[in-house]
This record gives sequence, C-alpha cells and structure tokens, in this order.
Amino acid sequence: MILIHCPYCDEKRAELEFAYAGQAHIARPLDPSTLSDEEWETYLFIRNNPRGRHHERWRHIHGCGRFFNAVRDTVTDKFETTYKAGEPRK
Amino acid sequence: MSEVLTRIDPMPAEPFAGRGVSVRQAPPMARFSLRARQAADLEKLLGVSVPQKIGTMQTGVMCLGPDEWLMLAPHGTKIADGAGLSLAVTEVSDRNVAILLEGPRAASVLAAGCALDFDKFDVGRATRTIFETVEIIIVREAAERFHVEVWRSFAPWLWTAFVTVAAE
Ligand SMILES: [Zn+2]
Repeated sequence: MILIHCPYCDEKRAELEFAYAGQAHIARPLDPSTLSDEEWETYLFIRNNPRGRHHERWRHIHGCGRFFNAVRDTVTDKFETTYKAGEPRK
Repeated sequence: MSEVLTRIDPMPAEPFAGRGVSVRQAPPMARFSLRARQAADLEKLLGVSVPQKIGTMQTGVMCLGPDEWLMLAPHGTKIADGAGLSLAVTEVSDRNVAILLEGPRAASVLAAGCALDFDKFDVGRATRTIFETVEIIIVREAAERFHVEVWRSFAPWLWTAFVTVAAE
C-alpha cells in the first residue's frame, strides 16, 4: 500500500485515507464575467495530462480533512513531495 | 393507535468476550464538534488548554485537524455556544457511538482492518482514520484499551467486524 505524507498531520498515512482531487494550482478567475467562452472552457475543463511529474490536489479525507498539494509521477505512482495548500508550486 | 417510540441500540448491550479481548459499547456521553481558526478562541470558551498537534488528546479534547477538535465529556454536559468568539460549537452527542476494545489483543483487532502502525501509536493519541471502508476515530486510552468512535449507522457493521475478529 502506498503511504502518503500529509503536510498537516506531518506523518505518512495509508493511501486509503486520501482522496484525489484533480490538478493543482488552477486559479479561479477573479472576474468570471469578463472571460471569453474559450477562456472559461479552459478554466473549467482543460487539464494537463503529463507522462511523469504532475501537480495534484489531494485531500486527507479520512484523517485531518484538509486539502493539500502533491507532486506525483504518473508513470511510477511515486509521490515526490507534498505541501500545504497556499504554498508556492514545487 | 399511538405507539411509544422505542430507542433501538445499534449494538448489543452485553459485552462480547473474545479471545484476549473484550468488545463493549461505551456508555452514552456528550460530544461536541469544535471548529476554530485559532486554538486560543477555544481555550477562552472551554477554560482549558487544547492540544494543537493533530492526532493528540488532552482533558477530553482531541485535535482532529488544523481547525477541528472533538470534545468528549460526561453524559449531559453542556457547554457555551461561543457567541462573540470566532468558532463553531456543534453538539454531536448522538451522531456517534463508541466501542471499547480492551485486552492484550485489542490492537490486533484494530489492525485487522486499519493500516495504522499500532506499535508506534502511543497512549494518549487520537486520530480519525478508516477501518475497512468505515470512518472511525481511534483513541488509545491505555496500552491495551482503545476507544473507537463511529457514526451510529455504521456501528452494527463495525460491531460485527470487531466481534468476528475478536472471536478468532
Ligand atoms: Zn492529514
């Protein structure tokens, strides 16, 4: 079983306690009404699909409850690092 | 035509004596979900210091997350609603029930469905986690005694799982 380090609990916990929550660092538009349809589509639906390093949101849903960010390799499924929400991209 | 409403317990009242471990229902108690950005606000409300390291417990208050605590207190306890302070107090006494596991095999019963390392789970620790597919909160009250909080509707399943392992 994969162990994931929760940056809030500051310990490694079983993958079962976590939920994937999509790509990380997607900024919500400050003024959505000024966006074109294409820009809105990009914000809502267009995501990276890299082979390798991927920035993701995860939630320690059956633990502390918090969302945090992670860098995971999509080929090996290895977590390179995890860090608190709001911290700069790693 | 009227019928008296009867309270249905989610678990048997009688304890189960397993091999090296007993499984029993904890008596009713008061429970409060406490949410605050600053622990200091909670301490003002409760008049005691609250733990700030996630996964620890002191004086009946456990820190479950960065802004979340759960307080266990004797049945019937009431606390102030915290008006004027930046926090939320929600009484959840009847949302959860608790199962007590006691005996030399208590940790191994939990380990049957939970991935935590109980050799490194010290007395006094309290954490939310998952047992098979059911979310629970485990408190290690003593080396061989665990208090397990579970949502009421999941309790019959959890009881059956614990008793099955305890009997092995
Ligand atoms: Zn956590």
